[in-house]
Amino acid sequence: MYDSLTNRRNFIKKMAMLSAITAAASMFPGIVFASEQEKGIPDNANLDWKKGPCRFCGVGCGILVGTENGKAVAVKGDPNSSVNKGLLCVKGYHQIMCIQSKDRLKTALVKKNGNYVETPLNEALDLVASKMKESIAQNGKDSVAMYTSGQSTIPEGYIASKFMKGAIGTNNLDCNARLCMASAVTGFLTSFGADEPMGCYEDIDHADYFVTWGNNMAEMHPVLFSRMLEQKAKRGAKIIDFATRTTRSSTASDKSILFEPQTDLAVANAICYEIIQNGWVNKSFVEKHCSFSKGLTHIGYGLEDNFQFTDKPEKIDFEAYKEFLKDYSPEKVAKYSKVSVKDIKYLAAIYGDPNKKVVSYWCMGMNQHTRGTWINNLVYNIHLLTGKISQPGNGPFSLTGQPSACGTAREVGTFTHKLPHGVVMNKKDREMAAKIWKVPVERIPSKPTYHATEMFRAVDRGDINFIWVQATNPLVSLPKTSRYRPAMEKKSCFVVVSDVFPTPTTDVADVILPAAWHIEKGGLYGNSERRTQYWQKMVESPGEATPDTWMFIEVARRMGFEDLFPYSKENHVEEIYNEYRQFHEGAKHGMAPLEVLEKESGAIWPYVNGKSTQWRYNAKYDPACSNGEDFHFYGKPDGKAVIWQRPFEDAPEKPDQEYPFWLNTGRVVEHWHTGSMTRRIPVLHQAMPNAYAEFHPDDAKSLGIRNGENIKITSRRGSCTLPASINERGLPTKGQVFVPFFDENMLINDVTLDSFCPISKEPDYKKCAVKVERA
Amino acid sequence: MNENSEFSHSYNQHSMPIKSYLAHPIAGRKDELLAALKGFDQCEVLPAENQNILALVTDTLNDKEDEILKEKIEALSSLKLLALVSGFNTPQ
Amino acid sequence: MKKRLGIISFFVVIFIAFIVVWNYSYEQGLEEAYTPVIETPTGNFIPSESGAFRRFDDAGAGLDYLNMPVDENHQRTLDTYYDNRAYPGAPPSIPHPVAKERSFGGNTCIQCHQNGGFVEKFNAYAPVTPHPEMVNCRQCHVTQNTTSNFKENGFTKPEPPKVGLGANNALLGGPPMIPHQLQMRENCISCHGGPSAPKEIRVSHPDRINCRQCHLPKHSEQPTVDANTFLRQFDKLNEK
Repeated sequence: MYDSLTNRRNFIKKMAMLSAITAAASMFPGIVFASEQEKGIPDNANLDWKKGPCRFCGVGCGILVGTENGKAVAVKGDPNSSVNKGLLCVKGYHQIMCIQSKDRLKTALVKKNGNYVETPLNEALDLVASKMKESIAQNGKDSVAMYTSGQSTIPEGYIASKFMKGAIGTNNLDCNARLCMASAVTGFLTSFGADEPMGCYEDIDHADYFVTWGNNMAEMHPVLFSRMLEQKAKRGAKIIDFATRTTRSSTASDKSILFEPQTDLAVANAICYEIIQNGWVNKSFVEKHCSFSKGLTHIGYGLEDNFQFTDKPEKIDFEAYKEFLKDYSPEKVAKYSKVSVKDIKYLAAIYGDPNKKVVSYWCMGMNQHTRGTWINNLVYNIHLLTGKISQPGNGPFSLTGQPSACGTAREVGTFTHKLPHGVVMNKKDREMAAKIWKVPVERIPSKPTYHATEMFRAVDRGDINFIWVQATNPLVSLPKTSRYRPAMEKKSCFVVVSDVFPTPTTDVADVILPAAWHIEKGGLYGNSERRTQYWQKMVESPGEATPDTWMFIEVARRMGFEDLFPYSKENHVEEIYNEYRQFHEGAKHGMAPLEVLEKESGAIWPYVNGKSTQWRYNAKYDPACSNGEDFHFYGKPDGKAVIWQRPFEDAPEKPDQEYPFWLNTGRVVEHWHTGSMTRRIPVLHQAMPNAYAEFHPDDAKSLGIRNGENIKITSRRGSCTLPASINERGLPTKGQVFVPFFDENMLINDVTLDSFCPISKEPDYKKCAVKVERA
Repeated sequence: MNENSEFSHSYNQHSMPIKSYLAHPIAGRKDELLAALKGFDQCEVLPAENQNILALVTDTLNDKEDEILKEKIEALSSLKLLALVSGFNTPQ
Repeated sequence: MKKRLGIISFFVVIFIAFIVVWNYSYEQGLEEAYTPVIETPTGNFIPSESGAFRRFDDAGAGLDYLNMPVDENHQRTLDTYYDNRAYPGAPPSIPHPVAKERSFGGNTCIQCHQNGGFVEKFNAYAPVTPHPEMVNCRQCHVTQNTTSNFKENGFTKPEPPKVGLGANNALLGGPPMIPHQLQMRENCISCHGGPSAPKEIRVSHPDRINCRQCHLPKHSEQPTVDANTFLRQFDKLNEK
């Protein structure tokens, strides 16, 4: 008590001094007090600064957290981090405030007779282990499942994978990155045979043009957007915004081009058509480094349970590809894409100019797409045809939304088909995992089971009887939550949720486990540019809140797998990372050792001979290139990247007489994903207290809707009521409604459609048909 | 600018005051004032480098002590003017 | 007679054609003159984005401001900034004689107030307007021709928001939040950057451009939402 009182008095004294200094500054502008002006932080604030990555998006900014007497009190950008160079966004600056939220989960809660009862953590973990064992004994290994996150740290993801696939022996492990990154992964794998971008953020410093595809970077990746704006001001670099909605990014861009939802497929093909017609193809690059393929068409939308699809790639030649593109002349595409012929030609000319360096950026607009894999392929086609790839300032760059969607979900592989190295279908990969994990190879099943959407369908059908959800909030973030919320409430499935705060997902849990937040534990994240970042625990967690990794280990041990999880409580993060690194040894994916990550603000893999590899597949930078040429796409057996023939196909549900509007969902700068953290930060909540529905003024006028008025949005699946917003933050095109999904009280995902890309299984949150009425 | 409501409202009003002032010394006697203020245990002083002014924070155990301290400071001959900026109270 | 009628009807046709053509071209002219302003029916709750990035491009605000040496002798202060307004957020009055009394402002005021610059006559930098698209300046901005009052008035000016270290930030060293409303002031750099910015609120990093990446309105004007449609049950279940 004495200690905390002293802390508070010290703090108040600092505030008192600060107010005196402020007063003096208003009387004598320019006044300097003895060494007080260290970036706005008074010198006598005796803070201890510790480095780490930001908790929020996939940009992976370096942060410095100021702690004082065991409490986190300030955040600043890490000036040593090459990602953000000292700048953050408003979420990043205030992130530590959420852990002081009064409704923080501090003890385990077990549901008894409809009420949650505070339970010692040990007992709760006993219960979790016994329920898991019971389910396996009664209904087999595939009756238990784990649903993790792109926010899981590398050790968390690794232990989840080892526990489910190595110890128990089921592939029932998937994660929320399926909802945001899966199409990027399948795009990379089909085009290049290896996941994750070839370039890095330094491309921004070299590019002449930035083309953003359905991507509002000014709000969603603001720190990178600021770097682009800096280049625009300094070097005259140009930003072209290609989107279905006018946003802050459009306003800041040099040109904004709007298109009809789903027609990005056609426009991308039209750009390739123009590139070929005008002779802008980089012939020697294409001949040496590219091959051509086509896959199946009319591939479905995954709307039915147990939907299955496997693509059948077929090699084609350049002439066949050229013939295919004849359907995509700018004149033909302009008719249904609502992009003018002039604008299509303008875009093609940018990509086609051999003297201009171009980077394409995209995120959810292209990934959350029923043809997500295709549109990723199509943008790669543009860069491959022109040879603008794998060079400083030239390349396609797929951005991520979660801090470790790359580091954990994709690299550790917390998907049903993945292993830390390779996939479960591959015998060699299973053998490698079995060897490192010290388990019999037969225990790792060779068949993938449920991807995210199908996993919750299986819960609904009663095929899964135990599910453990960690570091994610699916009952806000899944599509068509109107089906999956009742599914999770069913008695047939025992639900365990680990989280830091109560959410609509913990509402349906049988056991709630209190998790330690970001800086209350150590860990590693991997960002969009293949940068692995490490941080150490900075403050203590309250009550019995415990790091997720450790709760996984405790349950695994209780299930009889003590020998597989021999880690120590103090050093488990380090021990696990060192074990995990073995999976990626070699020039293609080597990870930096922990000693390096302790000192530096992250390192980019492949980390070879003490050096980060900034541009993969380019012999000048990438030591894994071995074909003696300038470029080597070594992910594919023949060393060649694939240019894919992918057609335009319609969305599964389009506006019609009864449901005349497109519904598009997304995010705002103030809140991160489902808002369970950011809404608990007063500054952010006060700036954006609830969700809203954006309308085009013409639509608002014809419907007689006024700003702020409550509007009911209804689809064939459910409805949601929100206040209207007309021409404020964003301006959707006519016939489109936009709603941000962060608000747990206005669940727009009750309305969305759970169709997905048949190849990546990633749902499309950007397109479904709705009707609108005044509530 | 006397009571800074942003910070004071959440604290108990009857104890352990912390106050901040701007102290204006008589011209040429800034160092003398600084030394005198540093002589009080309850004072924290921060002199401005380019202006004839000092920022002062007092930390006392109760209102009585606060009053006595204020009288002592005001009695200093090197002080021209003492202006209260903000006051905070913390619970016992 | 027939001939006369013919001539008359001929002229009538010509006249009608003239009116039609004139009307058409007049309509066209109107379209040329006004950029289609998309109207918001009932005001904004969420601050509008329009004009947020204005002048970063063409006028070279931002980088230019960063490299510009501070003209110590001609700085405005926040006090004089507020002196000129009836209350914080009120339209400032015109503190100098106007060039043309009959001008509504568009062509006149904007000459100095669109991009600013030093004005010898007034020995000061012209403040920059955040909304140059609103050309009827003197609808809101009036000259001050006397300091006396018709009748005594008891209006007291509310205190302007506090500025400076710690006044508007949530955490030590964190970015300050915006303590004023943004309607018609979406373009931050107009008042917070360049030589005409009051020195207390001049931004140290005008080159950052995307201001609202870090600085958000301190108070939301969004309508409070009835939480009766609340789907959360946690608190209910947790009752003991």
